[in-house]
Amino acid sequence: MIDFLIGIAAIIGTCIAYVFSVRVHRKWNVTITAPVIISTVLIICVLLIFRIPYETYMLGGEWINHLLGPAVVALAYPLYNQRNTLKKLLVPLIVGTTMGALVGISSGVLMARWAGFEETIIYALTPKSVTTPVAMAVTETLGGIIPLAAVFVMFAGIGGVMIHNLVFRLFRLDHYLGRGVGMGSASHAIGTATLMEDSQLEGSVSTVAMVMSAVVVSIISPALISLLL
Amino acid sequence: MLNLGKIILHTIVLIGFYQVGLLIQTTFQLFVPGSVIGMILLFIFLSLKVIKVTWIENGARFIVDNLALFFIPVTVGILEYYDVFAGKGALLILIALVSTMLVMGISGATSQWLVRRRAEEHD
Repeated sequence: MIDFLIGIAAIIGTCIAYVFSVRVHRKWNVTITAPVIISTVLIICVLLIFRIPYETYMLGGEWINHLLGPAVVALAYPLYNQRNTLKKLLVPLIVGTTMGALVGISSGVLMARWAGFEETIIYALTPKSVTTPVAMAVTETLGGIIPLAAVFVMFAGIGGVMIHNLVFRLFRLDHYLGRGVGMGSASHAIGTATLMEDSQLEGSVSTVAMVMSAVVVSIISPALISLLL
Repeated sequence: MLNLGKIILHTIVLIGFYQVGLLIQTTFQLFVPGSVIGMILLFIFLSLKVIKVTWIENGARFIVDNLALFFIPVTVGILEYYDVFAGKGALLILIALVSTMLVMGISGATSQWLVRRRAEEHD
């Protein structure tokens, strides 16, 4: 009974932290105030201050976790909404996102291996370019540290938004397709939201690229990893 | 209230697709996560009009708009791994950044080149 009550409190607490952080993000609207970052920091602070172990918090967190799988399934909806973009640009989209997936996995894994990091960390780094729920599922399959996967996804998202103007210039990405595929393949939802502010067209390409690259990365990761390590 | 009911009903449909995805994954011993299989299935079913978009859209939109809420409990788990980024671990941030830069540049340049080449062929 007490576990149940703690669980309910954890769920309500998480929702309050989330709603609060969405408000903060609306007000300041910079990448670093992304709701997931503020909520995570807030909850960690509460847990540390009141000396609540992570396992205790997860009595409720576990329930929210159960919705992660259905959340990935829900990504079919934005993809379906962009089906005309998808149909029109199918080949460049598939080839571009596949290239991105190959480059992302192999460059991350090779650099991390060269630097001498443990495998559980490398497996968490592998799917960093895809949206968090998929990245966590991929890391779980590979046997890496799952929360760490979420942190790397954040680095790829926020880092990508910070350097995207530089990359666009460096690689001469001046076509809406190149920009959309680049951002969606590298920086998932955070990058897509940023592009959406400038151009609906780039944003919709980015949405498709983000979902496609999630599919491609989850399919090729295990095989590519066994080749690289 | 009606909207909340729709969100719950639509989410149940999504959970159904997730369970089918999991079933396919375990039956065929696939590496691809069950959730991704469920997503592909849902996309195919929507495209073939086997299921109507109105059966899932409120739930799907609510979830996609609030995606971050669902992975907060996992990201909080980082508090047990805070030492990973200490010392040499800081290098991981640099690796993630360089790799992100390469992904963005190369994937974008590839698709841009392909679409321009196609446009030239049509001229």
